[in-house]
Amino acid sequence: MIHPIERKVLSENDRVAAGVRSRLEIVGTLTLNFIGSPGAGKTAFLERTLQLLPSGTSAAVLTGDIQTENDAIRLARHGFPVQQITTGGACHLDARMVESHLWEWRFKEFDYLFIENVGNLVCPTSYDLGEDGKVVVLSVAEGEDKPMKYPGIFRKAELMILNKVDLLPYVPFQPELACEYARTINPDIHIIQCSSLTGEGFGDWMAWLERRRIAKRHFSPNHEEAHLQTTFV
Amino acid sequence: MHEMGIACSILEAVERERIIHPGCRPTKVAVRIGRFAGVDGDSLQFCFDAMVAGSSQAPLELHVEAAENDELDIAWLELDELEAIQ
Repeated sequence: MIHPIERKVLSENDRVAAGVRSRLEIVGTLTLNFIGSPGAGKTAFLERTLQLLPSGTSAAVLTGDIQTENDAIRLARHGFPVQQITTGGACHLDARMVESHLWEWRFKEFDYLFIENVGNLVCPTSYDLGEDGKVVVLSVAEGEDKPMKYPGIFRKAELMILNKVDLLPYVPFQPELACEYARTINPDIHIIQCSSLTGEGFGDWMAWLERRRIAKRHFSPNHEEAHLQTTFV
Repeated sequence: MHEMGIACSILEAVERERIIHPGCRPTKVAVRIGRFAGVDGDSLQFCFDAMVAGSSQAPLELHVEAAENDELDIAWLELDELEAIQ
């Protein structure tokens, strides 16, 4: 007997991610999922971001790695709540890992939640974590053609951070070509060129972040009402 | 690259179906893999077979169908009706 199923393989992950998304919606937290190769500079980028957040901003970071607490230790120096997710071998984060770590914070209201995925351009692309958007981090120490080689993440990301531009004088990397490839895969992708070392480009990035957060609050009709409900229940 | 995780998700889905169809035993499951799904069919087959071998779900076959885009769907499940046990 053939029994039709017609369901996504990752439907269970998608179900958990939808739950995470609606809880984050209620507390109005802008959640971004950072995906990039190992060594693209995701942690340094987030460290600089945390340093530059205006005072009074609340933010939290979940950082994923196969082993070690090293990234959490680095990120925690900046005074924001951080949790390390060690996957113990899995090459990506999934929605259940994010959900269980957010329960540790009782789904507290933050302005921003940054999720640093495991360094990998392939697998993390397939797993919805309940985020508002994916940010792909590409560094100039890599090849310009990464967007063509790994189209999945460049297609799904709304923003590409072209990182480590301070190295441009020393490496044969053509930023225009990398941007062209990224736009070939995803014509709508927004691109910001940055250096976490010198701070170049962070003005644009911090402005983008603030705009994105305001847009989310503005366009999520349930936020104010849902927030009142959770506050007074 | 994450085919082992995908194989786990498929086996979990098969297990859920087995529970909601008492008296039936799943024998074959079909998945559709899009060209841009980031999943390699041969590698998935290898992981799936390795996980099924010796488990309570054996024998269970995986049937892989090629698809477009980034589809990654369980298409159907073949169920054998078991004889009622006295």
